[in-house]
Amino acid sequence: MSGGIWTRETVAMLLLACFLPMGASWVWYGGHLSVAFLVLMIVYGWQLLFLLARAQAPSLSGVITAFAVAMLAPEHIGPLRLALGVSFGVVMGELVFGGWGRNVVNPATVSLAFLGFGFPSFEWPAFDVPVAWAAIPAVALGCGLGVMSAGLALGASFVAIGASLLGALDGSVVIAAAIAFVLLVADPATAATTRFGAWAQGGLFVALLTLFHQAWTGAAPVQMAVAASLLTSLAVPLLDEATLAAWVALRRRRHGRT
Amino acid sequence: MGFWERTAGLVPRFPGPPELSEVPEITTEEAVVRAPSGPPLRVRVLVSEGDTVARGQAVATLQDAPGIQLVAPISGMVAHVRLLPGKKLSEIVLFRAGDAVTKHDTASAADASGLRRLMMASGFWPRLRQRPFGGMPAETEVPVAILVTGSDTRPGAPNAKRALEGRTKSLQRGLAALSQLTEGKVFFCTTDADLPDDLGKAPCQVILHGVRHPQGSAGILCHRHCPAGVGSPVWDVRAEDVADLGELLDTGVLPQMRLIRISGEGLLHGQSLRTHLGADIRQLTRRLVAPGPVETFSGGLLDGRRASWLGIPDRQVAVVPAQSRTTARHWLVDALVHMPRPVPIIPTAALTQALGAALPAAPLVRALGAGDEEGAQRLGLLSLLEEDLALADYALGEKGQIMAQVRCLLDRIHKENVE
Repeated sequence: MSGGIWTRETVAMLLLACFLPMGASWVWYGGHLSVAFLVLMIVYGWQLLFLLARAQAPSLSGVITAFAVAMLAPEHIGPLRLALGVSFGVVMGELVFGGWGRNVVNPATVSLAFLGFGFPSFEWPAFDVPVAWAAIPAVALGCGLGVMSAGLALGASFVAIGASLLGALDGSVVIAAAIAFVLLVADPATAATTRFGAWAQGGLFVALLTLFHQAWTGAAPVQMAVAASLLTSLAVPLLDEATLAAWVALRRRRHGRT
Repeated sequence: MGFWERTAGLVPRFPGPPELSEVPEITTEEAVVRAPSGPPLRVRVLVSEGDTVARGQAVATLQDAPGIQLVAPISGMVAHVRLLPGKKLSEIVLFRAGDAVTKHDTASAADASGLRRLMMASGFWPRLRQRPFGGMPAETEVPVAILVTGSDTRPGAPNAKRALEGRTKSLQRGLAALSQLTEGKVFFCTTDADLPDDLGKAPCQVILHGVRHPQGSAGILCHRHCPAGVGSPVWDVRAEDVADLGELLDTGVLPQMRLIRISGEGLLHGQSLRTHLGADIRQLTRRLVAPGPVETFSGGLLDGRRASWLGIPDRQVAVVPAQSRTTARHWLVDALVHMPRPVPIIPTAALTQALGAALPAAPLVRALGAGDEEGAQRLGLLSLLEEDLALADYALGEKGQIMAQVRCLLDRIHKENVE
């Protein structure tokens, strides 16, 4: 009869609102808006092509992807390499699956992984502390509005606190982890959809990051965060499926059927 | 019940005018007899146009289950009998006249089989609804549990306590009767506020739930406490109907009146009133409706169907302004808005709460969208009907798509497993 507001585009708008403090502090502390604009053009160029070729609705989530790639991409990589990486990530990571909401891995994560593996000689960015601080209101807003999973944030926080207390994580890694968590891991379309799955995903992200920090010699914090995001995203379907299997088994034991 | 369970759900708010305080009892000048929801039923019509019928008199019987009868909700004259091809019932319209009442013999209702016969002959049977698949139960079906819903958490629902005011004894009698029909439990589900006084002696297990929708939804309650499955059906019935059953057993006459609530943006005033099944919604809303074109729905603001007559399970009538025709848009805007494939859903807390945090909402909605029968069954689809996902449909702005997907999958599973 009538419709509510929680459509795909509402969620994208709310996520953008959550990212605003982080974006503003990134620009304030020397972020390159021209890179963000270039990435935005490439993302929406592909979205337009898929709109015309496959009648696939474009989404505001493209702005989030552009923002994440612009913030986390290797520095001075050049427009051509950047275009190649973003095109790969957006097309192969999102659009071929049917757009945002049907994708398995965050397109920004795929783009950044492609750029990292394809052009390893370029330096990964380093962030000022206030940019990472802005991740806190982003997560708080996201969880409060229900567009980010609170379990995901809590799972990551608990493991991060434990690892920090043990001295396995240092400040620069935590800064990169906070930013990558907000921009890449907390994407509701690709995050775990079950309660335990979300806790496990958050914990796995920080656990992988800790492992990389201890064992990956010479890797930059952002590089480690991107790699951890990619591996965590790939593990999400397994975590969800395991949670659902346990849930079904519990119900079968209690009720004899599901 | 823990804090998280009690506070699960949403409180959707719809604009509407203030409600009149009086609760009149209205018998409309016209009424209709229709088959309950589900596939069209093949019937043998027992009356012809022009016949006079008493309230509660059988007007049609099912061809495949002759014991199950459809009865007249008011006394009057048969105006029209409309059948679809294959002798499937469309509607039997009655004009009100007189106040004759049909009385049933309740002497044989002491045992389960006699009670079943009485419930079928008196027209009570269509008020029962079975899960999985929906619709009324088969003649010989024995449920594994019966859910009695004593509270309605849907927005715009009538006051459940008022509906049962002064009827505790009838309710107890009805609950006792229902307990004869199942080998399992009878669950009486309600909120703290709507719990009738002195229900202690009734042979049922009381389940208290929160006030947020869809906690009072029969599907969510069924999923939580007694999941339905193929071969293990669960029935659900409204507490007001159970009180009617108790009264039928006491007096031999099945009451046809029920408390309903008329609400919606298309009204000058909302109103709660007592009326009968199959009541003429146009007459009920005539003095309440605001000037201008409106649409009337039988059922709630979330899951109502456009209708002119009050449906068998419905306790709500929604009146909303008719949507004006949209003007032609630019082709690019149309291309951006109208896609051949539905836009995917994004899992959020709103979706989880729209299913009462009772089951994995996002995997279920994704399974429905993908037409994954096995996945959806595994996640509890067989306990649910379209109306249980109406809030999720509304919250996600899907405009009926999720409800249609539920019906499509249930029909497919029914065809594969039962037919």
